[in-house]
Amino acid sequence: MPANAISTNVPVLQLTDIRKTFGGITAIEKFSLDVHPGEIVALVGDNGAGKSTLIKIVSGVHPPTSGSIAIDNEIVAMSNATMARARGIEVVYQDLALADQQSVYMNMFLGREPVNRFGLLDRRRMIAETEQLVKELDVRIPSAHATIRDLSGGQRQGVAIARATHWASKLILLDEPTAALGVAETAKVEEIVLSLKSRNIGVLIISHSLDQVFRLSDRICVLRRGRQIGVRKTAETDKNQIVAMITGLQEH
Amino acid sequence: MRTMLKSLVALASLTVATTAFAADGATTGPHGETPTPAASLTLTPQQEDEIKASKFTAALVWHEMSEYTNAVNSGAHDEFKRLGIEVVAQTDAGFDAARQKSDVETVLAKKPSIIVSLPVDPATAAAVYDPARAAGVKLAFVDNSPAGYEQGKDYVTIVSDDLFQMGNKAAVAMADALGKKGKVGYIFHDADFYVTNQRDGAFKKTVEQDYPDMKIVAEAGMADPARAEEIAQGMITQNPDLDGIYVTWAEPALSVLSTLRAAGNSHTRIVTLDLNEPAALDMVKGGNVAALVADEAYNIGVTVARAAAGSLVGQEVQPFLVVDSLAVTKDNVADGWKKSLNKDVPATVADAMK
Amino acid sequence: MPIANAGAADRTGGFASRFNLQQYVVYLGFLAIFLFFAVVLRDSGFLTVRNLSNIVLQTAPATIMAIGLVFVMAAGEIDLSIGSIVAVAALAAAVTINAYGLAPGVLAGLGAGLLIGFVNGALVAYVKLPSFLVTLATMGLFAGVSRSMTNLRSIPVTDSTFTGFFGSGSLLGVPSLIWWTVIAVAVGHLVFRESRFGAHVLATGDNARAAAVSGISVPRIRLAVLTISGGLAGLAGLLYAGRLQAAKYTLGETDLMTVIAAVIVGGTLLNGGKGSIVGALVGSLMMGMLNNGLILMGLSVSDQMIVRGLIILAAVAVSLREKNR
Repeated sequence: MPANAISTNVPVLQLTDIRKTFGGITAIEKFSLDVHPGEIVALVGDNGAGKSTLIKIVSGVHPPTSGSIAIDNEIVAMSNATMARARGIEVVYQDLALADQQSVYMNMFLGREPVNRFGLLDRRRMIAETEQLVKELDVRIPSAHATIRDLSGGQRQGVAIARATHWASKLILLDEPTAALGVAETAKVEEIVLSLKSRNIGVLIISHSLDQVFRLSDRICVLRRGRQIGVRKTAETDKNQIVAMITGLQEH
Repeated sequence: MRTMLKSLVALASLTVATTAFAADGATTGPHGETPTPAASLTLTPQQEDEIKASKFTAALVWHEMSEYTNAVNSGAHDEFKRLGIEVVAQTDAGFDAARQKSDVETVLAKKPSIIVSLPVDPATAAAVYDPARAAGVKLAFVDNSPAGYEQGKDYVTIVSDDLFQMGNKAAVAMADALGKKGKVGYIFHDADFYVTNQRDGAFKKTVEQDYPDMKIVAEAGMADPARAEEIAQGMITQNPDLDGIYVTWAEPALSVLSTLRAAGNSHTRIVTLDLNEPAALDMVKGGNVAALVADEAYNIGVTVARAAAGSLVGQEVQPFLVVDSLAVTKDNVADGWKKSLNKDVPATVADAMK
Repeated sequence: MPIANAGAADRTGGFASRFNLQQYVVYLGFLAIFLFFAVVLRDSGFLTVRNLSNIVLQTAPATIMAIGLVFVMAAGEIDLSIGSIVAVAALAAAVTINAYGLAPGVLAGLGAGLLIGFVNGALVAYVKLPSFLVTLATMGLFAGVSRSMTNLRSIPVTDSTFTGFFGSGSLLGVPSLIWWTVIAVAVGHLVFRESRFGAHVLATGDNARAAAVSGISVPRIRLAVLTISGGLAGLAGLLYAGRLQAAKYTLGETDLMTVIAAVIVGGTLLNGGKGSIVGALVGSLMMGMLNNGLILMGLSVSDQMIVRGLIILAAVAVSLREKNR
């Protein structure tokens, strides 16, 4: 399969008619979306539009009330995050979910630490793989031994994305990856996100910054009050149209 | 110092003489020993010179620090100093037998000639003192000795209160306060505890035998001092006409006192054991408290130190030495503090007496 | 933009310089106190092999409790019940040994510790109560249980195999309490530093949410650390019973604060995410050495308490300052 092939092959993620209710309240209705390998799809919408709920459905935290999720054309049922991870889906959370006092390499392997034949932590392997990955992704950290809390916000974000990249075989979900970062650090993180395309995995990104969405994404999916307003190819739309969709001035 | 001790001893024998008429009964040692008055233990000048020349050392291994231990401790310190014995270490186990064992091991590093101690848990204390015994250190105990230890061979002596005498004096003080007649409440320690059991029993026995016009009309056992107030409340509600209440020791007596005060009762008199500042203050101000019976704790320290030192130069020591006690009333409160604790009466009490 | 970068550089610079001091605070403190006593007490038997080995023997039960507490505190929890567990385990072992013999007695003691720890852990992990409150309650509860178990009586332990194995004996010329300390520290260190479980304990205490989304079962970790702590407190109870050749409800009562101080001075964070077994050992030895040295200096009991309190305060202050910035 050629790299950077967009929309030409089997989608890594296929959501069909997803519906999610909490008690009597409908959070997501009739949502369908495909994400292909090497593609970056942005999920936009106002606060409360249902973006976070969708991320949780895809990452296995909340199973959908109805509808289907398929990975590589295979329908899957995921009832927790571990099952989603086993399917090759990784999430980079807004709060990054890093253990601040642990080293970069321990975070990289958090919950999935390799052990040697004596059952002891294989630190050498963890360090080597971490160093290789941060080099590939150009995440500039002092060393794999550095403690997370000694890193800047951008470096932490880089570590979180590197961890997702290391484990995701199909799809990475990014929830507001640059919300807390300065301009330079944002640029650096965007560079890393773009480099994921060459790894042939799908990326689903939530962002409040339309500028960023237009810089990064291949397609844009707009949500309003739990309903899917529409999906546009980034190259074929503009900010005004997307804003109109988000705010409800344009329905389709 | 020496003259003070002499007068102390003289006074002690005097009190023994004056109370000799009282109810029959005597303190027995923790292992059934017959008591010997502490004053009977004396050292000859030759023995004292020999002790001073030998440069002995001593360690004091206490069970926990309290006003009582402090007084014993200072008595032992003073007597050791008088005999030219250096106190090289002093410990407090906080009522923890394991810590007391560590303390004994630790002080052994200083190779003391004598260890004076009060065992936290006599029943199992052999393991605590075995290293010291094996090292040939002279052991002298306050109040109790390890089970299985043999006096004369494993340890020098036990020095303690004359517990019977304390209860007896409490009864005499009560009789003095009530004019030898009236209704008495009796709050005793409801636990298997050698010290309080003997004192409480002696009070009861003396009242019953020696004062036909005094009646114990209410009895209440107290297992937990924190519940003394409830017990007193119940006793006073059921017997509002009590003339006196005996309380097993001073802390719970304060609860009884506050209950009486709350009820506006100023005629019921309290007699209890041990010196206690708030109780003494009430007493000198003419409140409910009539008398506090105190042991000569300081003298326990003096005696145990002297016994241990004497044994190092071959002096035979009786197995169970008891010191005297005294009833402290409004009239002799300053003197009582001095005799019992070898301290000046607290300033608040002294001021109230003026 | 330059601001963000400068900040990052600063932090990394500080990281390198802080790293060393932070890690060695407890060792430097230990060394300083040791040297002080060695000089001041050079003629008072402090440096004798007998006295130094006494310090290790005397601190063995506290060290073993401290190992359990490192796991608990590194996971962001606390266990206040360890002192009460010591007494219950020691009494359970003593009573059972006298009635049914050695092996049932050892099982009863360790089992009592593990069971209480398990109950603590289950309440914290699955009923989701704060460990501070749960163990505060069980501390009181089991202090009461140990008092009522034998009606305040102390129970002698005469089985010489037991007392030899757990407290008073020796193997190859090394006292059994030292063996227990060495084994517990070695195993504890290995599990804490080199196993996945240890890594998950640290992650849980550091950031429970991050641990949970990384697939770590946070409740199971909480259950495990409190059970371990209970089990090790039970072992400490056996060691006390072996050493004293008796069990009593007062055993362990005064240890809680010493153990907490040893663990914190040893470099474990009160709110989790960081811990050291070897540090806890050194912290515990430091506490024991302090007790020993102050007694040998011939200080009065109240002066000993004051000086000990001040030194612990200083040690805790320095180690917490270093760690929390």
